[in-house]
Amino acid sequence: MSGATLPAAAPLAAPRRMGHGAFWLASALAALALVAALRALGSEYAYFAATFVLQYVVLATAWNILGGYAGYVNFGAAAFFAAGAYTTVAVGKAFGLPLLPCIAAAALVGGALGLGTGVLTLRLRGAYFAIATLCLSVVLQTLVVNWDFVGGSRGAYVVRPREVPWPFDSYGGFLCAVMVGLAAGAVAIARTVEKSRLGLGLAALRDDEAAAEAAGVPTLRLKLVATTISGAMMAVAGAPLPYLGSYIEPNSAFGLAYGVNAIAMPLIGGTSSWAGPLVGAVLLASLQQAATVTISSAANLLIVGVVLVVFVCAAPHGIVGLFRGQR
Amino acid sequence: MEGLSRRGLGRAALAAAMLPAAARAQSTAANAPAPAGEPIRIGCSMSLSGGLAGNGRPAAITHRIWAEDVNARGGLLGRPVQVVVYDDQSSGANVPGIYTKLLDVDKVDLVVSGYATAIIAPAMPVVMQRNKVFVSLLGSGVNTDFRYDRYFSISPTGGRIKETFAKGFLDVAMAMEPKPRSIALVNLDSDFHQRAAESARFLARQHGLRVVYDRAYPPSTVDFSPIIRAVQAARPDLVFVGSYPPDTAGLLRAASELRVNFPMMGGPMIGPHITAQKLQLGPILNNLVVWDVYAPEPTLQFPGMQALLERYQPIAAREGADALGHYVPPLAYAQMQVLEQAVRRVGSLDQAALAADLHAHRSDTVIGPLEFDAMGEWTEERNLYTQYQGIQGNGIEQFRRAGTQVILYPPRYRSGELRKPYTAGAA
Repeated sequence: MSGATLPAAAPLAAPRRMGHGAFWLASALAALALVAALRALGSEYAYFAATFVLQYVVLATAWNILGGYAGYVNFGAAAFFAAGAYTTVAVGKAFGLPLLPCIAAAALVGGALGLGTGVLTLRLRGAYFAIATLCLSVVLQTLVVNWDFVGGSRGAYVVRPREVPWPFDSYGGFLCAVMVGLAAGAVAIARTVEKSRLGLGLAALRDDEAAAEAAGVPTLRLKLVATTISGAMMAVAGAPLPYLGSYIEPNSAFGLAYGVNAIAMPLIGGTSSWAGPLVGAVLLASLQQAATVTISSAANLLIVGVVLVVFVCAAPHGIVGLFRGQR
Repeated sequence: MEGLSRRGLGRAALAAAMLPAAARAQSTAANAPAPAGEPIRIGCSMSLSGGLAGNGRPAAITHRIWAEDVNARGGLLGRPVQVVVYDDQSSGANVPGIYTKLLDVDKVDLVVSGYATAIIAPAMPVVMQRNKVFVSLLGSGVNTDFRYDRYFSISPTGGRIKETFAKGFLDVAMAMEPKPRSIALVNLDSDFHQRAAESARFLARQHGLRVVYDRAYPPSTVDFSPIIRAVQAARPDLVFVGSYPPDTAGLLRAASELRVNFPMMGGPMIGPHITAQKLQLGPILNNLVVWDVYAPEPTLQFPGMQALLERYQPIAAREGADALGHYVPPLAYAQMQVLEQAVRRVGSLDQAALAADLHAHRSDTVIGPLEFDAMGEWTEERNLYTQYQGIQGNGIEQFRRAGTQVILYPPRYRSGELRKPYTAGAA
């Protein structure tokens, strides 16, 4: 891929673009500020609500790397998410490891799963690829249901450790801080991918894969890298789930809500940039959490559906696209 | 007053003397001092929508009835009670958030669980962190891993499921003539039914029964004919089945179509517990031996039960919940009664004192007296094995009457004799 093939990208972004290092630093500072703010609130419910929202920030950002940047719609987000959750159960049970090493293991498993799925399915395009990823969820759920070591269809208990890691006041606070860190990391990775040669290549193949291939973009390799990164991050999003509820069973881990939200959040926020999934996830997950404890009904997926329809009609490029259009 | 004897006159005089006392007792509720002050708030998550709503909604109605009853009697510690409930949409993932909201934002004084293991278990870490007493509703073995000393379970299975759950089924079966020699085990691949099948397997071995079929089917199963055919081919004397409502309907319809004839069939087949399925299956239920928690038999009437059902049924009809309310409502009411009685005995909302009290004292409830062991399970299990008998057509009235669902086990509540064989409705 030579610079001559993408002449317009550099002059537009160059004057005000933040470097990768600066963005990572800003993400880390934002994460620290968020943890401090939540600590100042001192409410377990605030910790839980933040964990819930941030879990979706990671999931939506991860989905967007393949679905948004490369244009390959993945309906199997719940499968990757559950793979992360069950990695925590399996690794924790087999080796007695705490949460953080389990998250690292989940990233490896999710990455390998993403790579494997990519190798098998990326020769498919459009609806065929989407259907193949949907099947992945069914296959994985069947495997988990029949795997007694992780509880099978009975589900598995993951009891939180009695000792709360320093300097946190509760295990909920620790989980929330972990999720803040993961979300900040996910956003920084997404932004790095977007602004790198990898992101440019993915954008090229999203616009016209044949043309990109003809122009020398190594499309298959880029897609494999994207599925691996996306898969690893989605699994990481699911890794803390067993500690959140202390009990996990296949129906909830492979729940429809994860698959639907992973797609709806980037679409509502905007798929073309790292900010889109972040905005979409914060908006939609906050709405859902508020609905759970106020309207108190099965309004969650209804909210997702209504908001999605409104945005598809009124703002096809998402919230971020709306602001870009005004500039 | 023709022919009034001296004894009759004496009785009439006694009745006249007792009338004011009875009237006083009746008006106690009306004359009770109105509760005052800040309400005692009791929080819970309940499945008001989604797959568990069929049992979650009756439980929520029952909790409301209990709160009205307590407030009519003057409240708890002189304060009114209020139940704060959020819909968990039958998803365990929503439960931790709901309990943190209840405890941190709503500042409820007491918490109880929603219905079923998948909803109870995710609440445990939140409740344990706040050291709250937690009375759960129909969970199986939830506290085995947590070992929380303030957990109390309203589930008749007791703490020794393996040794006791299928005992009633096999005790009834082994009393048959000729004695059965073989058994088939069919169960849904789920937590509750795996535990039930484990118990049946264990006890069958103790009784020297030959297990001729032993398979679990996945929750996604929709065609049950192959399972029934395979069981038929194994020619068992007994068929022990564990299933949830959609599977129960599928299995029994398949049994009916394949004209089965087993000396005895049944087990924890959850389904006919729900009124709609009772009516739907009708005569197919005849001679089926089903694990249950309550049956409207004269041997199983405790104070308050009939009054509860009379209060519940009109509300359920209005709100479209389970019409008869024989399954979850008695247990849900008992769940609240247990907590209520502990608060009254202790005289405060101190959680440690409440837990100690519940471990030390017996509670009298609409489902009978309850005592809890160290793990919070009932010290004495009360798995009922009942048999549907003489069902004709699909009318609801027959299910309100005694004699339609007779109790075979335990012997102290026995209200009828086993009828055999099970033929899935065939004459």
